Amino acid sequence: MNLIISNSSMEPIYEQIIRQIKSMIIDGKLKEGTVLPSVRILSKDLKISALTVKKAYDCLEQDGFIITVHGKGSFVAQNNKNLLQEEQKRKVESMLELAIQAGRHCGMKEKEIRELFELILEE
Amino acid sequence: MLLELKEVQKHYKDFSLNCSIQVKEGYVTGLIGANGAGKSTTFKAILGLIQIEGGTIERFGKSQNDFTVQEKTKIGTVLSEHTFSSMMTIKDVIAVMEAMYQKFNKKQFLKKCEVYHLPLDKKIKDFSTGMKAKFKLLIAMSYEAKLLILDEPTVGLDSVTRNELLDEIREYMCQEGRAILISSHISSDLEGLCDDLYFMQEGKILFYEETDRILSNYAILKVSEEQYQKIDKTYLWYQKKTTYGYELLTKERQYYQENYPNITIEKGNIDDIVSFIRKGETI
Repeated sequence: MNLIISNSSMEPIYEQIIRQIKSMIIDGKLKEGTVLPSVRILSKDLKISALTVKKAYDCLEQDGFIITVHGKGSFVAQNNKNLLQEEQKRKVESMLELAIQAGRHCGMKEKEIRELFELILEE
Repeated sequence: MLLELKEVQKHYKDFSLNCSIQVKEGYVTGLIGANGAGKSTTFKAILGLIQIEGGTIERFGKSQNDFTVQEKTKIGTVLSEHTFSSMMTIKDVIAVMEAMYQKFNKKQFLKKCEVYHLPLDKKIKDFSTGMKAKFKLLIAMSYEAKLLILDEPTVGLDSVTRNELLDEIREYMCQEGRAILISSHISSDLEGLCDDLYFMQEGKILFYEETDRILSNYAILKVSEEQYQKIDKTYLWYQKKTTYGYELLTKERQYYQENYPNITIEKGNIDDIVSFIRKGETI
């Protein structure tokens, strides 16, 4: 597992960890059942607080990406196709939202945005 | 809870200590504060080197009266003063450690001495500052103590040596059931090591926070006079007047990022917060 953490980024460190582990699972780089490094080990390697790592792992578990077994560690959860698709759909959705926002910002009408969307879709 | 101080008091002629601190299992807890804030007094009280005049100190869930020699060997310390005579060599110290601590791990300790090039036959008084600091920390970590009390273990060291020692400390924490209370003046050390932080001033705890929350939720807003008048001040905590406007400290970075995209917002770090608490005014 290869995580890159930026201490100067405005994105909170635990969110950087979540984002990177999620995308490794979605891309299939982290396979089902893979053991993740323990909280302490990861905190040592990344030189960040153990609480930060724990927060990231807790979020990943809540979202169903990993499972933590007490005394055994954290594993990549059974691949849930729906979950992965849902996650990717959400990503696309937020990007579209951004595009629409940008359009409205410069005064484009809904019709114009829709036409542009159709046009790009056809390409 | 490996260590709990409840309203511990100690009075000197021109200084009074009155503080409560908790160190949980698995945590590296930082204690920060200016020189003379009371950090070393707190450490001495924890170790029983001074008599406290009020409050309680519990180590491993036991009060000071029930504290046996056996339990004292579960604490490792680095203090500013030397624990061993400076006329001794590491070889002499090893003999003492073997006699005093059942769990002294000689093999591991010698291995570490080799890694850090600490000579076994040289008197400690002839060690360099860096060598002395390494020696003190390695000794504290040599007998599987559950609780480390480290009073400025990295003071006066260059950044390479400092990082080596910090890595040793992180390594130590990889085993379960341990905890550390550490003081330092170097906030970057604390940001990358501590799970939570106490800020001490004039013998009292002024502020407590998890490091993670400081790094992800705290921020400094830099605003002009005009922006200052308009900004929602609900989540602002401290303010400082500058030549061109104001600097504001908030614990809700995201709120201001989303609602005031035009304002300059910087990530808060421990130095900023300390400086705000000491010099800023509350809102």
